[in-house]
Amino acid sequence: MSIFRKIYNWLEDAAYVWRFEMKQVFRDEGVLIFFIIVPLAYPLLYSWIYNNEVVHDVPVVVVDQSHSHLSREFVRLCDASPDVKIVCYAEDLDDAQSLVSRQIVKGIYLIPSDFDTHINRMEQATVSVYCDMALILAYKAIYMTSVAVTQKMGEEIQAKVAGNYTVREDLITSRPLDFEDVPMFNPQGGYGTSILPAVLMLILQQTLVLGIGLAAGTAREWSRYSDLVPIHKCYSGVGRIVTGKSLCYVMVYAVMGAFLTIVVPRLFHFIQLATWQDLLALMIPYLLSCVFFGMTVSCLVHYRENVMLLVVFISLPLLFLSGISWPQSAIPGYWQGVSWLFPSTFGVRAYVRMNTMGATLGDVVTEVRCLWGLVVFYLCMACVVYSFEVRLSRRHAQARLAHLRKKRELRLQLKARR
Amino acid sequence: MKYLFLILTVARRECKILYVNRIYFFSMVVFPLLALFFFTSLMREGLPEDMPVGIVDLDNTTTTRSLVRRLDAFQSSEVVARFPSVAAARRAVQENEIYAFLYIPKGTTDALLSSRRPKISYYYNMSSVMSGSLLMKDMKVISNLGSAAVGQATMQAKGYTHDQIMAFIQPIRIDLHQVANPWTNYNLYLSTVFVPGVMMLFMFLISAYSLGMELKFGRGKEWMGKADNNIVVAILGKFLPQAVVFLLLIFFYEFYIYDVLHFPHVGGWWYIVLLALLEVFSSIGFGIFAFGLMPSLRMSMSVCSLWGVLSFSLAGSAFPVMGMDTPIQSLTWLFPLRHYYMLYQITVFNGYPLIDAWFHLVALVGFTLLPWFVIYKIKNAMLTYVYIP
Repeated sequence: MSIFRKIYNWLEDAAYVWRFEMKQVFRDEGVLIFFIIVPLAYPLLYSWIYNNEVVHDVPVVVVDQSHSHLSREFVRLCDASPDVKIVCYAEDLDDAQSLVSRQIVKGIYLIPSDFDTHINRMEQATVSVYCDMALILAYKAIYMTSVAVTQKMGEEIQAKVAGNYTVREDLITSRPLDFEDVPMFNPQGGYGTSILPAVLMLILQQTLVLGIGLAAGTAREWSRYSDLVPIHKCYSGVGRIVTGKSLCYVMVYAVMGAFLTIVVPRLFHFIQLATWQDLLALMIPYLLSCVFFGMTVSCLVHYRENVMLLVVFISLPLLFLSGISWPQSAIPGYWQGVSWLFPSTFGVRAYVRMNTMGATLGDVVTEVRCLWGLVVFYLCMACVVYSFEVRLSRRHAQARLAHLRKKRELRLQLKARR
Repeated sequence: MKYLFLILTVARRECKILYVNRIYFFSMVVFPLLALFFFTSLMREGLPEDMPVGIVDLDNTTTTRSLVRRLDAFQSSEVVARFPSVAAARRAVQENEIYAFLYIPKGTTDALLSSRRPKISYYYNMSSVMSGSLLMKDMKVISNLGSAAVGQATMQAKGYTHDQIMAFIQPIRIDLHQVANPWTNYNLYLSTVFVPGVMMLFMFLISAYSLGMELKFGRGKEWMGKADNNIVVAILGKFLPQAVVFLLLIFFYEFYIYDVLHFPHVGGWWYIVLLALLEVFSSIGFGIFAFGLMPSLRMSMSVCSLWGVLSFSLAGSAFPVMGMDTPIQSLTWLFPLRHYYMLYQITVFNGYPLIDAWFHLVALVGFTLLPWFVIYKIKNAMLTYVYIP
């Protein structure tokens, strides 16, 4: 057989596997849920959950024991700030605490009775702030608002005391060194903007692994000896099987990946700074490494549902390992090492930096190289486990064949004796 | 007495199943423990320390250098690099080398000494909210200290006392009380919700899985036969061993975080035990209910895993529920983890009376009783359905 003929046959076999796998995917409702419905519905749901980005008007109770002009000014300014809302006044601290306990408010501002006396005597006055620490964002809102308001009131007091002539002098007295803080890439400090790009990339990997695992489980259940690889002449070589199957998954996920990384951010007005060329250069190795990773994992699965027990729970740890919700510099070394095994670690980092932070492909070249490394590694792993599976199913087939031959011989012998 | 005997017979059968199929051991013991050690060791510092920060110091005088040194001394920040320009520093942020940088323009010290009110800027990467806001806090303190130092020096020269100086520089002081978590320890926030959340996910999945496997291997009739065709006995017997394993798991988790890691638990041990019981029974109840609604292994497990993963967001521990849209706020009631979290933070974490968390207690009891609506459907499925792969 000529070399061209061989290549043609190889391609034909791979295409057969591809077509067969495609049919399997669209026939299996379990796979369809994870390949189509989850990637379509989850991003929309998550975007809706984090729609409001920041927490405004955190309810706070005031215990005003001073009842003075200054204490009322403090309360007014706090109430006027965007983050805090004064919902009630309490008589004393116990009263206020019971409101916190009943979840009506998240914090207490206690203004002591000597508040204005101290200020008028030019002594340092105190405001006590009690925060319910169960919610860190609420705590931040309550505390930062009180800091901002006391600073503003302090500047006014300083201006009065200093006896300057001009506004400029007042400014210099209260703050000789001016400063400006510039939040970059997510100026409103939105929670959704920060976490959602990571979630989108993670959904891609997790649904892909779940879907491939379910499809493999189904293939095993249809087979007589619970083999992953069916007995068929097109399934004779590892290369054809891996190529054909991965082509099928890549085909489905080219669409899903485009939806998650381009359409969803546009729908919900997330920051989108990556150019399509850069995005493509990232998504190709990311999808390929996820596909091969999924195929490697799928060989571990004996019953189709076991893959859910294996894969679902690692989603949350993987989100933390990507360095978005917990800073990468604070992740202990051994967990960093574990995180390198998963494509999502590099995929999330590169995507967030390109899409949210406007980095170019050159800035994330380390991550992209690591992804290509994972592609090669998991491709080899997939080939190894599939060659094992091919050998296993061939052995089963030969055993079956020998068994049938023996049976036939026996039958013939019996017939001859009769 | 007869029912007790039947329950024990079914439980013995279940123990054998749990022992034979290795996936049960992994998902009831190994994976939850892995999650426990993962989260507690990941955040063992409590607060991220020494995050990399860059400096663009175009002034380079003793004053600006002391500012930089002071920033370096903070717990959260560590100065790792100096850059010649803002553009270079921004690029370093995009390359993930640093998370923030301080920009001190040329002539800052001159302007400061001659009272011309110079301006320094602090750029921080908010695409990660946690590191961004921590670094921003450090920076605010630094700039205030920088301002205060100038005023302090002038007033000392004029002969004011320390109290007078403090009263002028900071007329109103904040006396902050971080109730129950004075260290702002993130391990306390996240591990106490996400670890029980992962365990809950496994309880959902395993409950649905163990019921579905009966159907899948056609053992439903045998199971019902052992229970004398009484579905209540069958369910109780089947989930008795699982509940015991999960309870031991939760108690180990609680022992580990409260006794080994010394997480604060103002509420005391009774609430902790109550919380463990409610978590296990409500989650198993939810799992059985999910299977009863859709007596198919793959559908019920898909629903359970989707529900379990969503509950991490909808528990409202990271992003508060009060900040979500109203329909989502009502939706959170359908997630046992939300009620677990509320019950935990009201009674155990803050030590407030149980009556203030009555709604969440009732909800968890409700989840425990949910299977009541579907057990006859499960019985029907076990006796008549045929598994189709």
